[in-house]
Amino acid sequence: MTRLTRRFFLTTTAAVALAAASFTMPGLSLAQDTPKTGGTLVATWGGFEPQAVFVPGGGGSSPLISSTKILEPLLRMDGNAEFVPVLATDVTASDDFTSYDITIRDGVTWHDGEPFTVDDVIYTVNEYWKPMVAGAALSNFTGIEKIDDKTVRMTFSKPTPEFFFKNVLATSLVLPEHIYAGSEIATNPINNTPVGTGPFKFKEWVRGSHIEYEKNENYWDEGKPYLDGLVMRYWRDAASRAAAMEAGELKLGIFNPIPAPDIDRLTETDDFVATSDGYLGAAWASTIEFNSRNPIVDDPAVRKAILTAIDRSLIADVVYFGRARPGVSFVSSVNPIFHNPDLPKYDYDPEKAAEMLDAAGYPMKDGKRFTVELLAAGWFEENGKVGQFVKQNLEDIGIEVNLKVPDRASSIKGIYSDYDYDIALSNHASQVEQVPRQTNYVTTDGIVKGAAFRNANGYSNPEMDELVNAMAVEVDEEKRVEMAHKMQEIIAEDLPITILVEMESTTVHADEVKGLEGRADISADSLSDVWLDD
Amino acid sequence: MARSAPSQSLDHLYRFARNKGAVLGLIIIVIVFAAAIAAPWLIDRDPLRIVYRPEIWPFTNPKYPLGTDSLGRDILALILFGARTTLMISFAAAFTATILGVIIGAFAAWFGGWLDEVLTRLTELFQTIPNILMIMTVVAVLGQTIGNITFAIGITMWPPIARLTRAEYLALRDREFVLACRSMGMGNIRIMVTEILPNAIPPVIVLGSVIIGSSILFESSISFLGLGDPNVASWGALIGDGRTLIRRSWYICAIPGLAIMFTVLAMNLIGDGLNDALNPRLRDR
Amino acid sequence: MKRLILSRLLQIIPLVIGVIVMNFVLIQMAPGTLLDIMTSEQQITDPAALNRMRELYGYDQSPIIQLLKYIYSVFTLDLGYSYRQNAPVLDIILAQLPSTLLLMLVAIGIAVTFGMIAGVIASVKVNTFWDVVISLAAVFFFAAPTFWLGIMLIIVFSVWLGWLPVGGMTTIGVDYGFFGHIWDVIRHLILPALSLGLFYMAIYTRVMRASMLEVFSLDFVRTARAKGLSTTRVIFAHVYRNALLPVVTLLGLQLATVLGGSVVIEAVFSWPGIGSLMLDSVMSRNYPVVLGVFVLSAVVVAFANLLVDIAYYRLDPRIRNR
Repeated sequence: MTRLTRRFFLTTTAAVALAAASFTMPGLSLAQDTPKTGGTLVATWGGFEPQAVFVPGGGGSSPLISSTKILEPLLRMDGNAEFVPVLATDVTASDDFTSYDITIRDGVTWHDGEPFTVDDVIYTVNEYWKPMVAGAALSNFTGIEKIDDKTVRMTFSKPTPEFFFKNVLATSLVLPEHIYAGSEIATNPINNTPVGTGPFKFKEWVRGSHIEYEKNENYWDEGKPYLDGLVMRYWRDAASRAAAMEAGELKLGIFNPIPAPDIDRLTETDDFVATSDGYLGAAWASTIEFNSRNPIVDDPAVRKAILTAIDRSLIADVVYFGRARPGVSFVSSVNPIFHNPDLPKYDYDPEKAAEMLDAAGYPMKDGKRFTVELLAAGWFEENGKVGQFVKQNLEDIGIEVNLKVPDRASSIKGIYSDYDYDIALSNHASQVEQVPRQTNYVTTDGIVKGAAFRNANGYSNPEMDELVNAMAVEVDEEKRVEMAHKMQEIIAEDLPITILVEMESTTVHADEVKGLEGRADISADSLSDVWLDD
Repeated sequence: MARSAPSQSLDHLYRFARNKGAVLGLIIIVIVFAAAIAAPWLIDRDPLRIVYRPEIWPFTNPKYPLGTDSLGRDILALILFGARTTLMISFAAAFTATILGVIIGAFAAWFGGWLDEVLTRLTELFQTIPNILMIMTVVAVLGQTIGNITFAIGITMWPPIARLTRAEYLALRDREFVLACRSMGMGNIRIMVTEILPNAIPPVIVLGSVIIGSSILFESSISFLGLGDPNVASWGALIGDGRTLIRRSWYICAIPGLAIMFTVLAMNLIGDGLNDALNPRLRDR
Repeated sequence: MKRLILSRLLQIIPLVIGVIVMNFVLIQMAPGTLLDIMTSEQQITDPAALNRMRELYGYDQSPIIQLLKYIYSVFTLDLGYSYRQNAPVLDIILAQLPSTLLLMLVAIGIAVTFGMIAGVIASVKVNTFWDVVISLAAVFFFAAPTFWLGIMLIIVFSVWLGWLPVGGMTTIGVDYGFFGHIWDVIRHLILPALSLGLFYMAIYTRVMRASMLEVFSLDFVRTARAKGLSTTRVIFAHVYRNALLPVVTLLGLQLATVLGGSVVIEAVFSWPGIGSLMLDSVMSRNYPVVLGVFVLSAVVVAFANLLVDIAYYRLDPRIRNR
């Protein structure tokens, strides 16, 4: 109820603001209301070219961006963390939440003309989701059966929360059975020329340069996409992207496309708009993890002291040019449902940190207390810089630091296969739903040697395991929120991993690019609603 | 061989000094060495320390004469300590390459036959792989430390030395003084080291000095690409870090580049000077 | 002549095998395989799936068998398969080869043409103002790191003056027509080609100047001059031809670096070539591609050597009559 009121208030304010805008600038609101058709949009993102257009196993943000224009999920999440239909028109839970009936959309065809059927969904769930992308989320999944030509039923051995389940449907893509059946999905060459149901069809990939898409004339959402063509263009560095925007070569950049200082310069001209909308479903954070295998940093008192010693505001200001804020909890503060704001904050206070270490039994001896191996994952340039800051902060309180900034491959190996670090500076992009992707960072089940982006620290707490297991089967949404809050309290106390700073991801686009609003995760959006106002 | 050693060295020195460029190069290198050695006394802290606000322009704050970089580190400190890294890696790498090259070249020429065939092929093999690709791969495989970067550059740069040494040894192998040593029953290694090496080494030293220059360029390229050692200051890495700020703070890129350029320039000038002074073939031109 | 070509071509075989063996050993030394990286990235932990992938990638066999299989496949013109990109290695390399060739050939073209002209001018006007200017420029460009020169050129010509694009090879999403497209590529090509070209040019200038001076001092040139031939004629009839030999040698060496020489510049200018591909592949431990580029490079070097031999044969009568 409170949420509703708040939203009502927000919409009213927005309406008033809009009315005021149209009063002073007639025609503006009109132009925003009627999307125009046509034009080709050149877009990019703040990273490298993908390794393949579609990487079935995940493969990071880049293939996620390139594949989601072609392939679609059953649902998607909107900007208010609510689910809206895509390929499924209806998802209904049984009374005991042990099964869900999914009704698929009528009249959808794959890009090669074959009709989209429930068999595609059954194939996808059995051969793709369960073994490859959503295995942990579907651990209680027992089977999928065809009810009629438009409906399938997924059944579970335990109650499955609705938000949790719908989140799986919203983050997993549906594959065409007639193309993949009988092949190894991960290595099928079709992944470089995917066939989907989405608003855009794959046209061409010029490696090292760009991927070109063309409009799907038979798209199920009539009148869309508004664009005739879409190009994902890749630059190796942010400065080049900024220059390309200024030159008019590039109209849309998602996920921090250009150097932060350039954002203000570009938006000052009124030709460009910067927004932090659309990152709810992938809230990026810079994280700090403590390896439990090292007896010194295994001590929560030491962890707290170390957090107190790090000047996180300065990191946010200097490394991220103010487009970040110190973290409060393991769950990002942008999470509209699960974030717990009432946790102990470890504000920067080096003297207090030194006292905490004295008290914990690590006094200064010959100018130092102890030595740690600090690994800053080199997949983002910023991590190396955060590493410099942390090294300096720790050395100030007498902790000697050996900093390593290995490249992406060595970082993954160093953290998740060799556990070769005492403190790691890494990142995660969290969805709104916490189970199992986020909870894998802190549960005993999450410890899998060699598998990346989960519990590398060896942290194991029965209370936590029990809590997460209960959350996975709790169908009352209010109770799930309470459990998530409890989880964050335990993490804030034990500190196996936490958010150092919350990164404020930014989309920068030319003023003429419209229709980007209301997305939970702009990277995974098909861009079917985007249009050019020129 | 007739001239006595001291007057010969004086002669070399004279020829070297006559070359103005070489003297200039030597002055620059001495300055760079002095900076590298004096760095810990001039800057009493870790050069990678963040000391002040980021992006302070050069010559605006007397405490940080060359300004600060994107993180707020003192650029002067980074340049001074970067000189250490650069000199250490490039001299050690060139030394490694020279030792390897001389041994391989000398053995190939002296023993001939199948050994020569094998070693010559090996040399050709190393020359077919573009240097920078090889260095990149070796560093990525072995890990990003100063030692590995030095090793990678050294293992990549020896073939020209080997070829030159082989040619020199071939030319000297059948000279009278070598034959005389042989007839006196001197061992192979002893002749190679004590008799031929002193005569073969001058052109090798010239080439070695050029290799130091190339090593500096390779080290900076590797660091620029982000494959350097994060625990030490490096000119190349500073350029890489400053790249996103070329619109506002282009000096972050410009300053370390000048440092690299002048150091390489100095090494090349010294190489030219050594060439004039030591290379017998061109001596009397 | 034919024998020379044939023997050179035959030498390619052991060379390529050598390159494969050497790099294969290097890659075996690397901690962790490509498979480890891929499975951990994709969070594949199911033992059955891991085994299936291991078999698919050929990691279930001993390294020796893997090596022999790879050598065999290379000689059937198959450079293996890149599972990361889901495409044959050869296809991936060939897709990015043209842009690197374009960049390198233009850079070398600039370097040879202007380098030789500058070298000739400097040698003819030796010890004059022009000689000093040219030699100084050569010394500076030879010492400047190409990536730094590239960034400085971007700052001046793209950021300050706004004349040229900062990176990439084409403007995407705009249809300029055929000639417009060529002009577009040229605009993108200028700065990277210049960054590389100025460095190479410095080498050619120095070599050309030195070798011209050397030939000037030879007896037959003195004789020709004494006979009253004009300086220009002497230069072009005698000196130039003889002074060209070192330049040809250098050009041969340079062709050998055609695949790898532009790595750093490609990174600076987002040039979609072999260099960018190598950088990505090294960073992601995509060894099939790394190995493929090395093999291709060996073949290119072998052919470059052959070209140098042929050029020598044509230029130098002494070799021909041997």
